Amino acid sequence: MYRDIDLSSSSLNRYAEKRPWKHWAAIVTIAVLVIAAFYAAEWDFSSLTNPDDRKIAFARMLAWLTTFSSPDFSPEFLKHCWALTLQTLSAATLGITLAVILATLLALGSSRSVIIGEEKAQGWMRFIAFRSPSALLCSLCRLVQDILRAIPDFVWAVILVAVIGLGPLTGALALALNITGILAKVYSEVWDNIEERSYEQVRILGGGRLATLFYGIGPLAARTIQSFTLMRAECAIRNAAVIGAVGGGGLGADIWYQIQFGAWPKVTTLMIFTLALTLSADLASNFIRRQLRSDPNHPRVIKSKSIHAQVARPYIGILFALSIAFWSVWFMGYGDNAPPGQQSRNYLEPAIKLVSTDSWKNLSFFERLVKPDFDLETIGLGDQVKVKEFKKESRTVDLFSSYRPWEFWKPSAWVDWEQEMQKWFVWRVIKSSAIPLAMAIVGTLLGVIGAILLSYPHSLAFMLESSQFTGETHPWWIRGLRFGQLAVAKGLGLVSRGVPDVMWAFLFIAFFGPGLVAGTLAIAIHSLGVLVRVFSESVDNIPYRRFEQAFMGARMSCYGYTAGPICWRDWMTYSFFQFESNVRTAVVFGIVGIGGLGFFFTFNFEWFRLEKAGTYLLMIIALTIIIDRISRALNLARKSC
Amino acid sequence: MRRSLLVPMVIICLIFGLSISGKTNPRQSLAAERPQKLVMTAIPDDSAENMREFFGLIAKHIENTVGIPTEYVHVSNYAASVTALATGQADLAWFGAVTTAQAYIMMEDELEVVAARDIDKGFIGYFIANADANIPEVSDLAELAELAQGKNWTFTFGSKSSTSSHLMPRSFFTDQSGKNPEEIFRTVAYSGSHDVVLQKVANGEFHLGALGQPPYDRASDNLKEKAPIIYTTPKFTNYNFSTRKALGRELIDEIHAALMTLHESPEGKKALEYLGSEGFVDADMSEWMGYVNLIRSGIDIGG
Repeated sequence: MYRDIDLSSSSLNRYAEKRPWKHWAAIVTIAVLVIAAFYAAEWDFSSLTNPDDRKIAFARMLAWLTTFSSPDFSPEFLKHCWALTLQTLSAATLGITLAVILATLLALGSSRSVIIGEEKAQGWMRFIAFRSPSALLCSLCRLVQDILRAIPDFVWAVILVAVIGLGPLTGALALALNITGILAKVYSEVWDNIEERSYEQVRILGGGRLATLFYGIGPLAARTIQSFTLMRAECAIRNAAVIGAVGGGGLGADIWYQIQFGAWPKVTTLMIFTLALTLSADLASNFIRRQLRSDPNHPRVIKSKSIHAQVARPYIGILFALSIAFWSVWFMGYGDNAPPGQQSRNYLEPAIKLVSTDSWKNLSFFERLVKPDFDLETIGLGDQVKVKEFKKESRTVDLFSSYRPWEFWKPSAWVDWEQEMQKWFVWRVIKSSAIPLAMAIVGTLLGVIGAILLSYPHSLAFMLESSQFTGETHPWWIRGLRFGQLAVAKGLGLVSRGVPDVMWAFLFIAFFGPGLVAGTLAIAIHSLGVLVRVFSESVDNIPYRRFEQAFMGARMSCYGYTAGPICWRDWMTYSFFQFESNVRTAVVFGIVGIGGLGFFFTFNFEWFRLEKAGTYLLMIIALTIIIDRISRALNLARKSC
Repeated sequence: MRRSLLVPMVIICLIFGLSISGKTNPRQSLAAERPQKLVMTAIPDDSAENMREFFGLIAKHIENTVGIPTEYVHVSNYAASVTALATGQADLAWFGAVTTAQAYIMMEDELEVVAARDIDKGFIGYFIANADANIPEVSDLAELAELAQGKNWTFTFGSKSSTSSHLMPRSFFTDQSGKNPEEIFRTVAYSGSHDVVLQKVANGEFHLGALGQPPYDRASDNLKEKAPIIYTTPKFTNYNFSTRKALGRELIDEIHAALMTLHESPEGKKALEYLGSEGFVDADMSEWMGYVNLIRSGIDIGG
């Protein structure tokens, strides 16, 4: 959402006095992070620099591209794909529907402006959770949503197997839990980003917390929330590999398998189905958005003559969304939902187990997961008998045995200290997070830069409807040219986000070998696709009146100097969010062979060494929370300056 | 106004919640009797299509013999299959040795091994190498470790929780060469399943790999040519069908009998052909206790 510029003299004065040191700080921080990313993890560029490796990589790329052009269109396989598509769609829609409901409830608690509202506490006081009961509730809700999205969905799925057994419903619920965490974060952040002044009238007129949300914050945030929910729905539909992990089938799991196996004709067919699904989800969400659009000045608004049609629009939009949700429930329960070669049955039945206490007892199976192993004996704490034993085998960390703390200026001292620390399991856990972080930092940065550049040709406002604010009338061929640009940009965006990030990872693994380079490129391309859509959408959401006032002759400079600054806040919110989700993606990439935190976590989890897995999980959660709090703190900072 | 609504709402929710949880779980009440259906699952060591087809056939055979509808549910995660059996959400599971041991550690005496294939008592695994990498056959793995010095070779196991494509090849390698594979090879990866290992070694993505015997034997000659065997492991115990004792002695015996006669039905024959076996034989948990002890000893499994 854009902000109105406050022209009162005091705010101008304050602005004039302020130096933009915060922006410099931000740039320096990013630079330091990028350098650290290259320093902390091993980047193996040999596949690019070594001529032999490069030759193999390009030969493989070519071989794959040629097989890509001949998809497997045998009727059997098409039928198989169609069944998988329906399964994916129903499970993902069910997951999303549940997630939207749960996330709204959770966000009520985790949004500062809803649960706390205006308060006396200012500045650093706001970081203390115990300042008031509602503040405590707020931090608790934030913790819950962080945990929900930090835990990879396949882990939720395995945990849910203990409660409700195998089947697509388990996958859908796991997806729902994961997406709840994601949506609740976004909802609460979007609500908190609404300028307090824009809804203070509701408060002045005596509206309570909920009234402020429904009549003030809600309507102001509705458009952003709507686009994000629909975008997330699209992502969920595409990425729903988890459904297969616990016995549900689905496109994601099959693609994952076929890619590993290198069955490229089949992968191509599956990809076409995935892309078609993405495209229809895209069209469906555009349809819903258009029905619900309420800005009468927007040129994309449907101008119906009859009052009936005008009144009916929101109902049509909502009914359409609801009917898809109902279809997914019907399909899972009563439709022809058999996995290939099996009988269809009611997959909703296990839901009854959710309300029986017996099944919940099975959760004790994962009890050890919440008792993480901190390996205290190694650092001389905990059980003293064991400590002595460990000391004998010199397995304890004896940090300052060869170098004293005051010898910190010797580089060799640091090497030695590091080696000592290496003995401590928790230190190794912390160090393992360097790899996902490095991938996410570099990948997101590349993705954001690419998305800002691509948003210009991707935006409807600047490509097709610029005459609305420039006042020019173009000959048909210029309009055609711009339409071409728009189509190419949209196509690029669609392909780069329509292809699951894991698929990109495998593709790049094939070219560069498993490693950071492959993972980073996959993250960069996928982020580009996701971000370009939301970036250009926030550009298109700006009323053209604002461009009209600022237009000085060139569309490009209007984009750079008007659209950019207006959307900047939204862009940064999305980018930070993307970064956070990229850290989680990078953790998942660890599972498919790139290493680091995710790899070690699944390794221990799959070996049921749950105490150790618990420590890694704690690290994943800690990463999520740290990044989330930083992003919130940055928004706070921007508000105050 | 709002508070006056809130209290009845909470009460209604509570009543509703209690009335539902008051119902007894149909599955539990029938535990003593015969269950209405059997859920069978397996560790995903091959493609979903193959496993759905052939384990579906075994399920059908059991259904025909025992007389209880049996359904095969395919999962693509090893841990999910162990969890399903250990928490009573599945009744019968096709496990490898590692997953059997993992399930035993969770379930203790609740776990019962019903039957194993004839080949599972003397199972072997292969080390394979890409044909273009010019890696000769080796007589033991110490020799392989020596050859690999300074060559920057890459290596792939199957799944992390697999026996014949991870634990056993790894422990043979460590025992014979005295070093972990991670210290010898540039990359040590986990491709997911046996057939993927073969595929990735054959197309040169990895120099070397380890996998079990049946998946290699049933692969096409073309693939085998591109990824020849360079070492065959000593024999070890592997797969079996595990179940829960809660099913009742009688039913377990019936399932046991059904598996013993698998080779007699046409669908069973087809499944056995896929499994690379003549038929099922008796088996007991004690034969897998070695693995339980191995895992409990905290063996270094990478990671």
